Amino acid sequence: MTQNVSVDDETARQFLEGMLRIDIFEEETKERFGEGEIPGFVHLSGGHEGSHIGMGAAMGDDDWLAVGGARLIGQYIAKGVPLPDIMAELYGRVGGSNKGHGGQMHVSDIGRKLYGHAATIGSGQNPAVGLALAEEIQETDNVAVTTIGDGGTSRGSFHTALVFAAYWDLPVVFVIENNEWAISTPAESLSPDHLSDYGIPHKMATESIDGSDVEAVYHTVSEAIERARNGGGPTVIESRVARLVPHFEGDKETYRDTDEYERLKEEKDPIENYRERLLERDIVTETGIEDMIANIETEVKEAVEFARESPEPEPEAAYDHVYRTPLYGQGENQ
Amino acid sequence: MATETEPQTDRETESLTLVQAVQDGLRTEMERDEDVLVMGEDVGKNGGVFRATEGLYDQFGEERVIDTPLAESGIVGTAIGMAAYGLRPVAEMQFMGFIYPAFDQIVSHAARLRTRSRGRFTCPLVVRAPYGGGIRAPEHHSESTEAMFVHQPGLKVVVPSTPADTKGLLTSAIRDPDPVLFLEPKLIYRAFREDVPVDSYEVPLGEAAVRREGSDVSVFTWGAMTRPTLEAADNLADEVDVEVVDLRTLSPLDDDTILDSFKKTGRAAVVHEAPKTGGLAGEITATIQEEALLYQEAPIERITGFDTPFPLYALEDYYLPEAARIEDGIRRAAGF
Repeated sequence: MTQNVSVDDETARQFLEGMLRIDIFEEETKERFGEGEIPGFVHLSGGHEGSHIGMGAAMGDDDWLAVGGARLIGQYIAKGVPLPDIMAELYGRVGGSNKGHGGQMHVSDIGRKLYGHAATIGSGQNPAVGLALAEEIQETDNVAVTTIGDGGTSRGSFHTALVFAAYWDLPVVFVIENNEWAISTPAESLSPDHLSDYGIPHKMATESIDGSDVEAVYHTVSEAIERARNGGGPTVIESRVARLVPHFEGDKETYRDTDEYERLKEEKDPIENYRERLLERDIVTETGIEDMIANIETEVKEAVEFARESPEPEPEAAYDHVYRTPLYGQGENQ
Repeated sequence: MATETEPQTDRETESLTLVQAVQDGLRTEMERDEDVLVMGEDVGKNGGVFRATEGLYDQFGEERVIDTPLAESGIVGTAIGMAAYGLRPVAEMQFMGFIYPAFDQIVSHAARLRTRSRGRFTCPLVVRAPYGGGIRAPEHHSESTEAMFVHQPGLKVVVPSTPADTKGLLTSAIRDPDPVLFLEPKLIYRAFREDVPVDSYEVPLGEAAVRREGSDVSVFTWGAMTRPTLEAADNLADEVDVEVVDLRTLSPLDDDTILDSFKKTGRAAVVHEAPKTGGLAGEITATIQEEALLYQEAPIERITGFDTPFPLYALEDYYLPEAARIEDGIRRAAGF
């Protein structure tokens, strides 16, 4: 028998639907990348879907999400960025969230309070602290959630962010998605028993949870946000997940043990586990799930069509937003 | 084009040093706009190690004059989040040489938020940093690394050389919608006083000032090097008619004023404290040769620091360009 379901039926169905949306969107992304339609690098979220959706569901619309780590697409979806905005951005088209100037790693959305990633992993936690400090100065009760992978916790800027968040006791929730691998470097070679232990010297609340369980993530992040909203200061959460995909599409993963990889796929797939959990309790039916999938496939298909039809940026546009007003000489004679 | 920046005679002024003008610029902007905040190490109760924020804590309180832990990546990174939110933080680096831990934040976040988000996120941030030598301390406490920042699209770099410009340029930097690195020549923080308007005013970014008109050689400089350059020009008055241009903003460079001056003289020298290799003198020289080659009468002199780390104590006098070395360079340009 699987674990109990601790949320109401409608919420449970939304969790499953949200995770399926990430999965189906990313499967399509993988295909489009393979066909050469999507440029650059693509990092997918397989195994992180529960962590992303549980976290997103715990957040209010007015809470910031400063995204980090490499598994970003699922987080964009969890924060509510529309699929066409994301897909067109992956394609580098003007219809994208960043008008085709950000790509897979830099989706941001000020209206949805999504602060985008910079590829120097672990640098985004410091602006997240600043967003929380600004909310505090403005006397709101909004919270900043910020994500990072296990690899990013080795960066000094992450630890500096902990110092600063603790110094002002700010409403920040640090979510470390520990998927055991910083590309090929295993997290088990890092000293802490749990990466959330990095919060202990700062006297922060810490939690280490099974991040493949969407409900566990939802409850833990909700509690942390509630604490932060009520002046209880920052929390560090380790969300333990399995990376069920290569680091990036094209990574041959020669460093992974095949048997262990298969075991993880069998045991730690957040979507498959949750689907069984809901089916067992008749919260969803097979037909209901099929309908869900069909609807999402239509959404994703429309997102791809939107991206394909959206034009590429004009070369001249490169100068438009380097500064608010193009500077002296910019764009001339180029 | 260069603009008139002398205070108007009918305005109320007070006699300030350059560092007092920094404080005055911060204070008048904080009075005008409650979103303007000051943050950094020891800027609050202590008033800053160079006293640049003296009195601000008492006037505006700890919520707007914010003491931080010692970590430049945290100071600047936190300020970036506040700026992205819509506040107007002014972050202090205690010395420019301490900025390296914040370089990632400045390059990866501040300079690129606007372009990466196509203007939906912005970063109206000022990072203040005392720079330059002449204070008998080596390396990080004295170096000038402006070229590293001029090389970053999305960032502006400003260096005042007078108290009146300091207040006006700092005011413009704070009001600017984009991130500005504001470099303060600490050697001349207290070297002289100047009448500075009491009220608030802007000196526009991106505009050089012709400090001395001349017809034989154009000398381009900024910050603390402006004074020895003017001294050199005066010393040479009987033999060479020197024009001295204080660039004031290093990014974006005021190419119009540089080229207008050069087309008049056909000879030029650039004076800066930073090492020669990769320094801005090379960029200015290249710009002149791209745009005004046929006006050129002589090789362009680069009168700069040397390609070594900034030295300690006695060797500093050899390292920094001073009037005699500048005079030699100008003579070479004039006599070619």
